[in-house]
Amino acid sequence: MIEITTPDVNWIAILPEVALALGAAGVLLVDVQWKPATRVLGAISAITLLIAISFTFLQWARAGDALEVGELDQLVAFSGMVVMDGFAVFGRLVLLVMAGLGLLAGWRLVESLDRRGAEAIALVLLATTGFSIMVASNNLVMMFLGLEIGSISLYVLAGLTREKTKADEAAMKYFLLGSFASAIFVYGVALLYAGTGELEILAIRQFFTAVIVTRPAVILIGLALIIVGLGFKVSAAPFHSWAPDVYQGAPAGVVGYMAAMAKIAGFLAITRILLRGVPQLDDSWLPLIAGLSALSMLVGSIIALVQSDVRRMLAYSGVAHAGFILTGIVGGATTGMLFYVTVYALQLIGAFAVVAVVSGPSSSGSPIDEYRGLARRSPALGAAFAVLLLGMAGLPLTSGFVAKFGVFSEAWANGYGWLVIVALLASVIAFAFYLRVIVAMYMDETEEGKVVVSLTARWVLTLAVVGTVLAGILPAPLIDLAADAFPL
Amino acid sequence: MLTWLIALPVIAAAIVALVPRRLKELHLPLGVALAVLPLALAGYVFWVFEPVAGYQFVSTAVWYEPWGISWSLGIDGISMPMVLLTAILVPIALAASTSITRRTKEFVVYTLLLEAGMIGVFLALDLFLFFVFFEAILIPMYFIIGIWGSDRRIYAAMKFFIFTAFGSALLLAGIIALGVTYADQFGSASFALSDLMNVQLSTGAERWLFAAFALAFAIKVPLFPVHTWLPDAHTEAPTAGSVLLAAVLLKLGTYGLLRFNLSLFPEASVDAAWIMGVLAVIGIIYGAVVAIVQPDLKRLVAYSSVSHLGFIVLGTFALTSGSLQGAVIQNVNHGLVTGALFLLVGMIYERRHTKQISEFGGLQKVMPVFAGFFLFMIFASIGLPGLNGFVGEFLILIGSYATLPALTIVAAIGVVLAAIYMLWAYERVFTGVADKEENKVLSDLSIREISLLTPLAILILVIGLYPNVLLDKIAPSTEAALDHIEEQTEFVIPEPGRLGDVLVAGGDEE
Repeated sequence: MIEITTPDVNWIAILPEVALALGAAGVLLVDVQWKPATRVLGAISAITLLIAISFTFLQWARAGDALEVGELDQLVAFSGMVVMDGFAVFGRLVLLVMAGLGLLAGWRLVESLDRRGAEAIALVLLATTGFSIMVASNNLVMMFLGLEIGSISLYVLAGLTREKTKADEAAMKYFLLGSFASAIFVYGVALLYAGTGELEILAIRQFFTAVIVTRPAVILIGLALIIVGLGFKVSAAPFHSWAPDVYQGAPAGVVGYMAAMAKIAGFLAITRILLRGVPQLDDSWLPLIAGLSALSMLVGSIIALVQSDVRRMLAYSGVAHAGFILTGIVGGATTGMLFYVTVYALQLIGAFAVVAVVSGPSSSGSPIDEYRGLARRSPALGAAFAVLLLGMAGLPLTSGFVAKFGVFSEAWANGYGWLVIVALLASVIAFAFYLRVIVAMYMDETEEGKVVVSLTARWVLTLAVVGTVLAGILPAPLIDLAADAFPL
Repeated sequence: MLTWLIALPVIAAAIVALVPRRLKELHLPLGVALAVLPLALAGYVFWVFEPVAGYQFVSTAVWYEPWGISWSLGIDGISMPMVLLTAILVPIALAASTSITRRTKEFVVYTLLLEAGMIGVFLALDLFLFFVFFEAILIPMYFIIGIWGSDRRIYAAMKFFIFTAFGSALLLAGIIALGVTYADQFGSASFALSDLMNVQLSTGAERWLFAAFALAFAIKVPLFPVHTWLPDAHTEAPTAGSVLLAAVLLKLGTYGLLRFNLSLFPEASVDAAWIMGVLAVIGIIYGAVVAIVQPDLKRLVAYSSVSHLGFIVLGTFALTSGSLQGAVIQNVNHGLVTGALFLLVGMIYERRHTKQISEFGGLQKVMPVFAGFFLFMIFASIGLPGLNGFVGEFLILIGSYATLPALTIVAAIGVVLAAIYMLWAYERVFTGVADKEENKVLSDLSIREISLLTPLAILILVIGLYPNVLLDKIAPSTEAALDHIEEQTEFVIPEPGRLGDVLVAGGDEE
């Protein structure tokens, strides 16, 4: 083990990222040197993820100890660059688990890429590193670094199958718009720094408790730009227009992973900045977030109604979900948001695993016609997709319902009853498009077209479905965990 | 024990699901046999049920403490008849589904899951749990209509789902609001009905919440003007789907109004009584008038439901002993009678593949047994003394007259209209000469079909002749509901309405 030599270098705080980065480098080096079968690289990445996950358990224990004795400054490491609070550790853990599932779900794609498979695996690990840094950063510049490491890896992943023009287009679009959003985020950080003189989130909070800002215009503009930049990453309306094209064009095997990672990290970052950095300004940002939330839910649900491609539909449903998750932030609490993000990420990866099976792992596009009669052609696959869709729709006995109930209760308790009513109406609209897919699968008698479900896809789907149902019936352990994982 | 009432159908569904698909013939009989188990248990509960107020067989297990949600079940005089009705109708509806030849296994599984959900709704004493069941029911019903329905089944299934989901959304908003208010006032979270009844609400908040709950349940009932999903859903659904939809699912609405609106928002219930009454009466008259002109037998029965359920809502909000007891017992009556009518329509449809009234005529001579059952059910439906429909409607009308006299008089017209559309339909279908060739060769009911209808007919007769078999067990609970309203509000139940015993005796006279 690494010995802790000096008190101000708390290596434990970044151990998972170190493991991930080494793992990514290891995959590339092994590939260059020995050109092993893709399976070997998969094993390396699996071991890397497992090591990283075990480090998060260590961090969780450390964070708990520090909280118990009240030495909170122990949790801040690298001169305030990163924190090791429960929030960060929880976020990391979810990211790592989803990365593992995402890799499994896209395994057929990785195999089909031949020698480029190593790149795909390394990119997945690198993206995870970046987003993992992002959720743990206390410094806004550090957060930006994490965001960029993650995002750039995702841009490349989107264009993995570069022979396909659709995938190329998706990657290009994602890259251009994504970079633009990152730039907006940095500009926001700069303005916030100009207004407060601080880059660290904890210091910004102290700044507001110590100083009464009479002219907060610069700070507010900076904050708004940060929200816009991150709003893009989580595809909240009106910054969502990239999502449908990217979800549709990028190879099916990676879309679930891409979408889940960006959303987990993005929402955790927004929450940390707003609830921990500038809680004193909530008079200003609460209405803004509530507005974004309402807009996302309505735009996402209504536009999803008219989609004829399952991936575009899932993209717009993601916009709506961004709105639902934002209601949790409007609620001013982190528990509901963390629970929601976790179960939604799982559903998303599961759903795209189905898409990858039905339309092929490197496909671009997944018209709803391909799902006709799926319940007859492959009953297990149809049932799994139905459960995941109903989970996303938020039917009781699935995790989606508990998640919605959690964030809506928080928002209602915080005085945003109107937002909850909008959210509930949007969920009713959303039922309609989830049901369209179920209609195609169950109420169409097409029997042609055998579907082959690969072993890895089976694993992912089993876990996603079991997770969705279990968290819907016995949500207590996960909610408790999320409740313990509050940010510093 | 009540947990078993919910668990048994789920276990039954799991067992049926495990039977391999190629043993096609086995699924339906197995489903029927297994559906008898919950019926036996429900019968036992009915047998040992004490005719006192309050919940019995209460079982509570904490689900998630910090949110105050629990798996809390109990049964009282208002829910007990509904549970029994559900348990009786599911095996009958399943046994009547021999015409479902494709994907039988899924059908049986969905029906059994539906039963678990329906029983759960009636037993839940925790609003969160109630909502879980209330919403979970939509899925199996959606599949039943959408997979085994007739031509426009997908449209009907979607309409059914979206309408009710819209209502559920409002209900959920109301439940969240109540839960948050409770947590504010008492410092701990709870969604138990008994706890939420203590929440102090401002008049405005109470009215909004009442409206949210009432709209959710009104869609389910369905009350005018949110009834439009019902004729489509009924017409397109397979026979078993129609039976359960009419007999049980609609009752979730009337049950909800009675259980939750009256007890959680007594003040608003008293204030809004006349509004609900007016809507109910519009439903009674409108449903009846539309039923008269329906060319389709199934649609006719569907619209008759709109009319009959109007009586139940009227009785609920008239807030007298007689009207409430009438409402509860009419829930059962309507379930039995309409369930039987849908079975009958299904049987003739299987023979002729049409439900158009104009296609029939003179069936009395060709199918005397069928005609006999049909006439019996029609008489029960229009409230012929001696049959159960009379007991319910009589209690409702006489009870409601005390508080809502004008509305009750208008509602009474509905009884006359019911006689018109039912008897006229009978006349067109059964009397005269069988002039169509297809009608001359129809076979009469088989032993199996008769054995499905007979239990319903016996129950209709028993309740009609001796309603106290149910009323004795219902009355303490409805009285308790009224006591609660009188305690919480300045509403005083007028003199004739409070004399429950007199009215029960009055019901006996026929």
